[in-house]
Amino acid sequence: MRVDIMRNDTRIGVLTAAVIISLFVPLAARAQGDDEETKGVEAGSYNIQQSIEAGYREDWLNGNQDTYDTFVNLDSGLRLFDYSLDMRSLDHNGFLFDNLDFTNFGYGGDPNDVSRLRIEKNKWYNFSLLFRRDKNFWDYNLLANPFNPAVSTPAIAIPTSPHALDLVRRMQDYNLTLFPQSRVRIRAGYSHDRDEGPGSFTTDGGTIAIFNQQYSYTTDAYHVGADFRVLPKTTISYDQFLTYFKQNNVITDNPAGSGFVLANGTPVDPGIIWSSSGPVEILPCAAPIATAPNVVNPTCNAYLGYSQINAPHNFMPTERLQFQSNYFNRFETSGSLGYSNADNFVTPSEVVNDLVSRTGARGSTAGGPASAKRVTVDGDWSGTYAVTDKFRILDMFRYDNWRIPGYWGFDETSIFGQMQPGVTGLLQPQALFTAANFYSICPAPYTEASCPAHTTSSAADVTDGSTYTFLGQNIRSNNFELQYDFTPHLSGRVGYVYTSRTIADFSASFDSAEVYFAGGAKATAANDFLAARGACAKPAACTETVDPTSGQIISLTFAGAAAGNDTSRNVIGISENAALVGFTARPMSDLRITADFEFGYNDYAFTRISPRQMQSYKVDARYNPRSWINIDGAIDIHENRDNISSINDLEHGRHYSFVTTLMPNSIVFFNLGYTYTDIYSQAQICYYNNSSGPVPTNACPASLGYAPPAVSALGFYSSNQNFAYGNINWKPAKRLTATVGFSGSFVSGSTTEINALQVPGTLAFNYLTPTLGIRYDVYRGLSYLTTWNYYGYDEKGQASDRIPGLAPIPTADFNGSTATFAFRYAF
Amino acid sequence: MKPDRYSQLLALMSLSLALIATALVATALVATPAIAQNASPAKTAAAADAQSVGAPAASGPANASDYVGAETCKTCHEDIYDNWAKTPHWKTTLNTKGGPSKQGCEACHGPGRAHVESGGDISKIFVFKKASVKTIDDTCLSCHAGGAEHMHAINSVHGQNEVSCIDCHSPHHAKTREFLLVKAQPELCYSCHLAKKAEFEMPFHHRVNEGLIQCTDCHNPHGTERAMQLRTSSTLDAVCYKCHTEKQGPFVFEHEPVKVEGCTSCHLTHGGPNPHMLRVSNVNLLCLQCHTMTPTGASVGSPPGTPSFHSQETFFKSCTLCHSQIHGSNFDPTFFK
Repeated sequence: MRVDIMRNDTRIGVLTAAVIISLFVPLAARAQGDDEETKGVEAGSYNIQQSIEAGYREDWLNGNQDTYDTFVNLDSGLRLFDYSLDMRSLDHNGFLFDNLDFTNFGYGGDPNDVSRLRIEKNKWYNFSLLFRRDKNFWDYNLLANPFNPAVSTPAIAIPTSPHALDLVRRMQDYNLTLFPQSRVRIRAGYSHDRDEGPGSFTTDGGTIAIFNQQYSYTTDAYHVGADFRVLPKTTISYDQFLTYFKQNNVITDNPAGSGFVLANGTPVDPGIIWSSSGPVEILPCAAPIATAPNVVNPTCNAYLGYSQINAPHNFMPTERLQFQSNYFNRFETSGSLGYSNADNFVTPSEVVNDLVSRTGARGSTAGGPASAKRVTVDGDWSGTYAVTDKFRILDMFRYDNWRIPGYWGFDETSIFGQMQPGVTGLLQPQALFTAANFYSICPAPYTEASCPAHTTSSAADVTDGSTYTFLGQNIRSNNFELQYDFTPHLSGRVGYVYTSRTIADFSASFDSAEVYFAGGAKATAANDFLAARGACAKPAACTETVDPTSGQIISLTFAGAAAGNDTSRNVIGISENAALVGFTARPMSDLRITADFEFGYNDYAFTRISPRQMQSYKVDARYNPRSWINIDGAIDIHENRDNISSINDLEHGRHYSFVTTLMPNSIVFFNLGYTYTDIYSQAQICYYNNSSGPVPTNACPASLGYAPPAVSALGFYSSNQNFAYGNINWKPAKRLTATVGFSGSFVSGSTTEINALQVPGTLAFNYLTPTLGIRYDVYRGLSYLTTWNYYGYDEKGQASDRIPGLAPIPTADFNGSTATFAFRYAF
Repeated sequence: MKPDRYSQLLALMSLSLALIATALVATALVATPAIAQNASPAKTAAAADAQSVGAPAASGPANASDYVGAETCKTCHEDIYDNWAKTPHWKTTLNTKGGPSKQGCEACHGPGRAHVESGGDISKIFVFKKASVKTIDDTCLSCHAGGAEHMHAINSVHGQNEVSCIDCHSPHHAKTREFLLVKAQPELCYSCHLAKKAEFEMPFHHRVNEGLIQCTDCHNPHGTERAMQLRTSSTLDAVCYKCHTEKQGPFVFEHEPVKVEGCTSCHLTHGGPNPHMLRVSNVNLLCLQCHTMTPTGASVGSPPGTPSFHSQETFFKSCTLCHSQIHGSNFDPTFFK
């Protein structure tokens, strides 16, 4: 967390020096000027052109550094802003290559570094390389503090997003084409994508703590293929892809970093939720601090340790056959058929050392082999037949069938504390019971001294079994269109799309052994000494295991379908219909208007926000009254709804844009653009808010399964966005170019307030990014450039302003500037 | 669920129309001989546009003597030639195998002798700016058809909306060396897709303006078999998984809408005002819009509603605090881990 930092002053000296040098160098060099970039040098049989732009970037920031880094993340330092190398064979017949292009930017510390290399030799090969590095910092703290009302004791401020991350992704793509102009063209490619870095992780437990997550994703993708152009005007391509993905994320907790301890000095992580006043969730407990300032009450929900290793490896081979042909006069066709079979294998492992007060568990483990497969068959065919020069018939058919069967052989344990007099909660040692050692550790009459601290709501001690899952979808879609050119200036099209989707899913779990050990408070013979819990609440449904010597109960074991199991396969069929209408008109030679409209109806929806009625209106107009004037306008409207009263889904996205570009001469360039966007979505929702409070006045019907009654509301989100930008490029003198630009997003909105402590966050804000730039051409390819960029983010309605008593939350606002001082040399 | 009568009727009509179209196509194929392979694409294009351009070159088959060679063109169009000579198109001059109709300037502009002998009469040569979009595209695709980028050009929405190749590419005055674009991405795309610029200027956005990724990483402007001209991942899946591979799975426990309806059920694709580019500002609202129980027979899939202990206070203020693996999990059906 880095908040309200005014950057250190030590760089001021460097900055001052840069400014002074930058001011004097152009003046000194003015007499030698030549405003043309070099035409390169000729070496051997190549013309070689290079340009390099390097310099220094300074940044200033007032406000929230985390938000700035999430949005912008440009820091100070020396930078390579651009380097390019272009080698071109003078006779187009170089020894190893005819052309070589190499471009780079961002090196030296910018969040995005990119290098592109292209090499080609006429009939022999094309090769391209793309390297990209992305530093992805994310810490927009929307959620942390609203968990913690200031009325809680103590009132703890959580300064960091529970899901912050600071990753670096490096992507490499290599592509080679051999014999690009021959009848048989060979293609090969390789991509490597590595994403790694620290982040945070949260999951369900007695409370929620921020765990450390070390991200590690690696994807290697190989590709070979060939284009066969043996038949006239026809290309047939065959490609094979092999993608291998592996994840090696490691998630751990570091209780020592929390600053809290138990009375015995053991570091403990009480989590990020500090709400001691209810009325619903009191976390980590009603009185978290046993001894000020940092000794935690051992009966609180809290973590002493956590680790999760989840390392799936996916092996994904794919093959694809494609063709394209216009062999026949008036008839063009293309299509493809692909098959992919992805396999995912993982043996996850989770080990938790915590206390969950509602179940009495002192920890848990989860693991077992898991695997999933995705089988995809994807095909399409398209054909266009020109009946006359003006009339065309187009048909496109697409088939997409995929299915994902999955399996998890689960092995889970709930660990309980070994009851010891005078020792409670987190101070109790974890009891590692097995069927073999249980009786010796916890003999009848199951005293609290050494037996597991079960409660009546405790889960099974051991659960072994298998889960089988399935999800699949079959899509068949046909698009039939008629296209007609009414005049050379007006063409129209009308079409109909029919799509049939079948979606099937299945999930079932079978317990091979759900084991409940005896022991715990309130244990009596009537409840099998508390072995009778969960699936064994009725002991007759379970098998008793007794100690062969004493004949006393050790455990109850259940085997069979898991509670609530649904072994039936759910199948949903959806028929989608859409009519298409469009036209392109050129009423004047300098005006083009394009319009596309779509009207759709589906007889079923997969989700409540999947629309059943759709309308789309797109109109674009481009007007060029002079060669130096462009005026463009666009309207893009989508209206979706599912007006069943219990759903009442309504969505729209309406965009209205225009841009004007003026370039009257080589001295001035001007453009101005504006976009207004209106986003809205709503659906009827049911939710619980204060379940121990009074019955909501507007309740969801109990017939839906909401017991106790839930709040009924229209869940809506509305956002009005104004985006404006403008740029002026001015070349007042032969050597001097000035740029002034502005862009700003002005967003206002409203949404359903589900909870009084809900933070508006990004619902309303202004985000401004004006720029200034000066370029001075010093001497024969040498230029000096200075730019200034401002980034101003201003949220409207901070939680801390709006909600009295909320624990202090840092404002997300910032005012940042960057200035660059650079030289560009082309030679 | 079976389609209703209305849907069946529409489907039947579509099928009938498709059959009629197929019959027409089959009839035409039988009746139409294949075009000679060595016909000049420009000449064919010129023929198609003969009326609008008035090119006499289209009046009949061109002979080898109708071609003058690129060096002749250079005598008047030196600047254009010099620019063009730096581009891959210059290689066509080396194509002696295909004859003069495949070489140099005339490979695209058609035979130039009449143009030259008339003293530069532009009505006597194929001029792209005056040609129809279809003709321009046919001319370019006569060489560029097929291959990974143009395999589905027939489905190009740009083509249907009369956006031609030269609206984006300029063989003579390109601003980029790669692909000879008239303007670098993303400004080239923004020049028509105006609202997209606003989306990429939002605080949360894909790094397109920063140059990390390009519009064409996700979209193929020449057409694909998918909506929005989207590309697919190498596993025939959504293009999002090219970078976000960890969310692709397959998972033992899939969050079904992710795979069935796609990433756009919850996320904006270009950029937006909300963290994680969610469609709404509060993640819980997004969840609740689906996870609300619906009466049986409401023609909608019914995911589970929220249980009574999920009060929207404290612990449950953000669904993803617990359901952190919301895109899918290999060992937790509730996406906790």
